Amino acid sequence: MTSVQNPPSDAVAPRGGLRNLWVWSARHPAIFPFALIVLTCVVIGTINPDFWQLANLFDILRASVVRGLFALGVLVVLASGGLDVSFTAIAAFVMYTLTLFVVNAAPWLGMAPILVIAAVAGALLGSVNGLLVNVLRAPALIVTIGTQYAFRGFLLTFIGTALFMNIPASMDAFGRLTLVKVISDQGLAVELPAYFLVLVAAALVTWWMLNRTLIGRAIYAVGGKPDVAARLGYRVERVRVFVFAYAGLLAGLAGVLHVTANRLANPFDLAGTELAVIAAVVLGGARITGGSGTVLGTMLGVILITLVSSVLILVGIPSSWQTAILGGFILIAGLFFAQLDRIVES
Amino acid sequence: MLDTQQTIPAEGPFLETRDLHKHFGGVHALKGVSLRIERAKFYHLLGENGCGKSTLIKIISGAQPESSGQLLINGRDRTGLDPIAALDAGIETVYQDLSLLPNLSVAENVGLSEQLVEGNGRLFRRLDLSRVAETAKRALEVVGLPTDRAFLNRQVETLPIAIRQLVAIARAVASEAGLVIMDEPTTSLTKREVANLIAVVRRLQTQGAAVLFVTHKLDEAREIGGTGLVMRDGELVQECDVTNASNAEIGFWMTGRELKQGRYRTVPMTSPAPLLEAKGLGRSGAYDGVDLSVGKGEILGITGLADSGRNELALTLAGLAPADRGSVTLEGRALDLSAPFAAIAAGIAYVPEDRLTEGLFLEKPISENITMAILDRLRSRLGLINHNLARKAAQTTLEDLHIVAPDVDAPVQSLSGGNQQRVLIGRWLATEPKLLVLHGPTVGVDVGSKDTIFRIIQAQADAGMGVLIVSDDLPELLQNCDRIAVLRDGRIHRIFDAEGLTEDTLYTAMAGHGIDDGTTATQTDSEG
Repeated sequence: MTSVQNPPSDAVAPRGGLRNLWVWSARHPAIFPFALIVLTCVVIGTINPDFWQLANLFDILRASVVRGLFALGVLVVLASGGLDVSFTAIAAFVMYTLTLFVVNAAPWLGMAPILVIAAVAGALLGSVNGLLVNVLRAPALIVTIGTQYAFRGFLLTFIGTALFMNIPASMDAFGRLTLVKVISDQGLAVELPAYFLVLVAAALVTWWMLNRTLIGRAIYAVGGKPDVAARLGYRVERVRVFVFAYAGLLAGLAGVLHVTANRLANPFDLAGTELAVIAAVVLGGARITGGSGTVLGTMLGVILITLVSSVLILVGIPSSWQTAILGGFILIAGLFFAQLDRIVES
Repeated sequence: MLDTQQTIPAEGPFLETRDLHKHFGGVHALKGVSLRIERAKFYHLLGENGCGKSTLIKIISGAQPESSGQLLINGRDRTGLDPIAALDAGIETVYQDLSLLPNLSVAENVGLSEQLVEGNGRLFRRLDLSRVAETAKRALEVVGLPTDRAFLNRQVETLPIAIRQLVAIARAVASEAGLVIMDEPTTSLTKREVANLIAVVRRLQTQGAAVLFVTHKLDEAREIGGTGLVMRDGELVQECDVTNASNAEIGFWMTGRELKQGRYRTVPMTSPAPLLEAKGLGRSGAYDGVDLSVGKGEILGITGLADSGRNELALTLAGLAPADRGSVTLEGRALDLSAPFAAIAAGIAYVPEDRLTEGLFLEKPISENITMAILDRLRSRLGLINHNLARKAAQTTLEDLHIVAPDVDAPVQSLSGGNQQRVLIGRWLATEPKLLVLHGPTVGVDVGSKDTIFRIIQAQADAGMGVLIVSDDLPELLQNCDRIAVLRDGRIHRIFDAEGLTEDTLYTAMAGHGIDDGTTATQTDSEG
């Protein structure tokens, strides 16, 4: 290819090294949470060298599972241009109702069918969101605020409010299953639970779906410009139902894993954690306006949030500080991505 | 419906419509359109805004169903097709907004549709990424765009508009379309980019595709050649050879009335009383050292290429992009242009280029749009808006500017483009400004509305208002202005007297070379 036939070459190649860096980070937004993770680790590790232990890493990974599943769902919905805040209500609904059902009616049920039922129930509740957004032609945020209250209200009114700790045997056993077990310097056993694999699998499947299937591209297309996508033949309404159902599916799984990990079912759990999850996805580089976001960035965003909100305690930083640090990170993220857009567009 | 499923060999017309009708509620938008589109031919769909052009296009591309009538593709009855079926049948539409997905890559924008159409719109399928890339490469090659990985992976929103236009055409190429519909493809392109586009379109033709342009630009239609299809009031009133039909003829078919040719500015202004004086005006990265003057009753044109600083200069006078250096006076008094309200208070009215996003409140009634800038004058002593007064003021504007609307309460979006533009101009005339700044006053407006708008502008100037037209529509400037200032690279290159000036001279001053230079080459020059 001759240079004459390569007309927009200066449109393709940005000018200057710094600009190059900005453009590169615009294409790889995961670099942002990654940099913050490294920064946070280095700072904590310098203050308290005890931080550098496998136990802390396992803690972070374990604590990331439920939030990570939520975040993958939020990512998919955000990428399609929607917003979902009902996932915690779906998770609470599924986990409590299902645990109650299994304990009372089918205590013999194995973990695999429980996970399948949780996924299906979550997907059904999620698709209610999608259908409502389509039928009401209302903003997804408003619809999911509504369904969040509706799901939670139904759960607390008709199903129950009592916390119970006699969870089904299969769930209890699954929660105790370990993937890796290491004896630390202090002689303590450090474990990475097997249910961490559910998050890994969900992340891989989500990545594959977003990048290697037509529905994945359709999700980004609809998130970029829904009217154009419709004109090009993408079935916008189907995409909407799908993303909310997918987010519901992951929320259902997350709910069951939450019970499994904590060995108790509390219908009041998980409420109020929505914003932290959405923040994790946004820290990972997804735009709140839709059409972007990556699985890698989202996972790093989740790890960053978990790092700040759970591990800081281990090194003796007061919990009031965690909130402030988290707020600071989110503000920096907002600034960073806005600046990125300006520089890349100019 | 007698000839359903009849198969006709490939030598028949590619597309045929028979007695197409479309009703929107009580509006009869298409009144029996029958036309034939032959393979590898060029067509130009001409007509005023609101004549039914867009409706026809939407039916052909499957975006809207027809009310009655027949649509045949390759001799087969395809009445009632949806977007996927239209694509499958080989009809590609490049809408004015290009219909690109801004957040997806070039390769995806060009190459995804193929697999979507194959699956008949089914989404739960694996995506063949290497095929996306291959299809994209082949198509990009045809339109003369790069095919390297960096370009394939580039997000479309980061590309300059002319390149995006070519990407949109590449998508049409990729689908091996039998008919490519282009809705006002050149509105935002420079002359050189237009020449490149035409070269690409000719290549499409040699591949056997028919191309249907929807356009207001008769000069470009002539340059391309082919059949002109003129519509008026939902009917196809005339087919002609565009190259041989004169502007006057086409204008007459479109509007049903004789349109003025030549200059609207009949009594040129000589040594007018000074109104606006700008001295040494400069804004970093946009323009510098600009000296300008507009007299009372004078019409000054400002033009230049897209990056010449003309747009920024217009925004400065509107108070939207303050200058860093220099001074501006209006009637001898220093002018504060730090914010739009200051400019408005000083007596400057600015009619923006993009009426849809920068000017009008589309869902609001006409009356509110017109009185938006004069609410101060319409309020009672208690500070409440007098709605009767507002409606009356709006009614007057409607009549003065010949705006065709059911009544002043109709939402602005129900009007045609030309009428919308007049509502916007009417809003600012209602403020009784001393200086009217018009930024691209007739972008996307048909000849009939153009005529009306030009007459309005002339009438205002005759009444003593200073008028500044910032535009890249050279005929518009030549027809209306007393003087035309050409900006090049952010500086005033020359100021011409418009009387007797030719388009060639003006263009050469703008670009630094003649119109024909470099237009035979197929490459684009990017501005990004």
